[in-house]
Amino acid sequence: MADENWIEVGSTDSIEEEDLIRFDHQDKTFCVYRLTDGFYATDGICTHEAVHLEDGLVMDDEIECPMHQGIFNIKSGEALSPPACDDLKTYPVKVDNDKIFIKIN
Amino acid sequence: MNKKIFILGGGQSALYAAREIRKNNIDVEITILGEEKFIPYERPPLSKDFLLDKRIDEDLYFCSKETLEEEKINYLNTIIIKVDFENNILVSEDNKQYTYDTLLISTGSKNRKLNINSEVDDEIFYLRNLEEAKNIKEKALGKKNILIIGGGFIGLEIASSFSQLNKNISLVEVGNQLMGRIIPNQIADLVKQFHEEEGNKIILNKTISEITKINEKYKILLSDNTEIMSDLIIAGIGSTPNVGLFENTKLKLDNGIVTNEFCETNIKNVFASGDVSNFYHPLYTKYMRLESYQHAQNHGLCAGKNISGIKTEYSSIPWMWSDQFNLNLQLTGICDDYDEIVERGKRIDDGIIYFFLKNKKIKGACGLGIAGKVGRDIRITSKLTEKNTIVDSSLLSDQSQKLNKLIQK
Ligand SMILES: Cc1cc2nc3c(=O)[nH]c(=O)nc-3n(C[C@H](O)[C@H](O)[C@H](O)COP(=O)(O)OP(=O)(O)OC[C@H]3O[C@@H](n4cnc5c(N)ncnc54)[C@H](O)[C@@H]3O)c2cc1C
Ligand code: FES
Repeated sequence: MADENWIEVGSTDSIEEEDLIRFDHQDKTFCVYRLTDGFYATDGICTHEAVHLEDGLVMDDEIECPMHQGIFNIKSGEALSPPACDDLKTYPVKVDNDKIFIKIN
Repeated sequence: MNKKIFILGGGQSALYAAREIRKNNIDVEITILGEEKFIPYERPPLSKDFLLDKRIDEDLYFCSKETLEEEKINYLNTIIIKVDFENNILVSEDNKQYTYDTLLISTGSKNRKLNINSEVDDEIFYLRNLEEAKNIKEKALGKKNILIIGGGFIGLEIASSFSQLNKNISLVEVGNQLMGRIIPNQIADLVKQFHEEEGNKIILNKTISEITKINEKYKILLSDNTEIMSDLIIAGIGSTPNVGLFENTKLKLDNGIVTNEFCETNIKNVFASGDVSNFYHPLYTKYMRLESYQHAQNHGLCAGKNISGIKTEYSSIPWMWSDQFNLNLQLTGICDDYDEIVERGKRIDDGIIYFFLKNKKIKGACGLGIAGKVGRDIRITSKLTEKNTIVDSSLLSDQSQKLNKLIQK
């Protein structure tokens, strides 16, 4: 049953290091990141205004929103810099046979 | 006895300074003196989401009253009418005196006012604070035709918000392009075109000759003798540093309060930050005054550090944004000193950026795109400017190539 919640995102080489891709599933948007120590996933829309974080800049463990430079920690989702103040939701990620999966529910 | 730190002005810069001081000092007394009845709040939404009813008062505060209490930061709602720099005393309108050991001045800026005729001058609305935003919102209810005087960021943002609320907008600007000369004319033209496609009437190169009130409406005569009828007039014609209090004191003023790169004024233990300060920027080696969210925050943080005894130079690369409809404009650095302009992108949907280079180094850039499309590249540009990196302009102009690779770790 549990495995049904893991959704395949794509292959590991679809994301460059210190970068992200956008992943849409049903009516939701996610961002999947490749950091130096592995893959991570968060909601794909900034918590400040409805803007896609896919256009943001990944720096170390942080994603900076492209609209007003709100910053979130990618691993914890914590909002680190205004105008973003609500945390970003994060999702578990696993890699199996060079494929990335995220657990949405 | 604990050291007493007073912050004059209760806006963004004041709050960030106060919290930074508290982070570094447990013992000092920190008091913000602000003339507004609200604790510090964000101003950018006032011309945008607040007018659109997408955000209400409570959404605008930088932090809650409880957080201020926990951090022992006092917010006193009072108007300061005099500063005695000889005796370190602030005097309020209700005749109370506050003695400081250290003073930070963050009084922000105030709107320029029009002088057309005494019958209508008081009926023209301006937008700087929450009270005025509430007032404008209430006055606009049931009104259809709105005249906006001034084609700067705030005027255009109000035009965008009211257009989204199905009002008829006419915007009159004295200059030959929108947003003044700090914005490349190509971007200003695109913004104009976008507003016009959304139904806003943008009139450049004209001034207001006369306004007559007829019943509850206004008849506006422009410099070319055309007439506009309007139900409400809002002006956004720029602002000036809020320094009235310091005229004829020994505080050094020149287009704001003159500060060095450590937020220090010419008076010992008196600092200034945010919109009100004309500060020395060590990377650009000149004085500048900025009115932006990022600057108010970072300059406040820097003042907080210096007040706490942590000597910190302020060398943030300027950055600001403006949101109009679903467009996001961003400006970084300074775009007035260059020997080369490079264009990146052709369509607003993907983002268009103009880079201003001197000796192959980016001095500034301005971009326009549908929400967020220029953000990453503008951010990378700020980093390149900060590091004085030599860049290859063919890479800048090629939108198929990511700029991330230009940042040296
Ligand atoms: C409508 C609007 C929209 C904006 N949108 C954007 C945007 O989209 N992007 C962007 O980058 N920037 C934007 N800005 C600019 C940004 O908000 C300002 O640069 C920033 O608020 C400056 O902060 P500050 O703390 O220096 O001054 P302020 O926020 O102006 O605070 C100064 C405070 O001091 C108080 N004060 C002054 N004199 C006294 C006195 N004698 N006694 C007591 N209190 C006093 C004032 O009432 C005020 O509350 C916008 C500004 C406005 C007004
Ligand atoms: S939309 Fe992300 S910080 Fe504003």
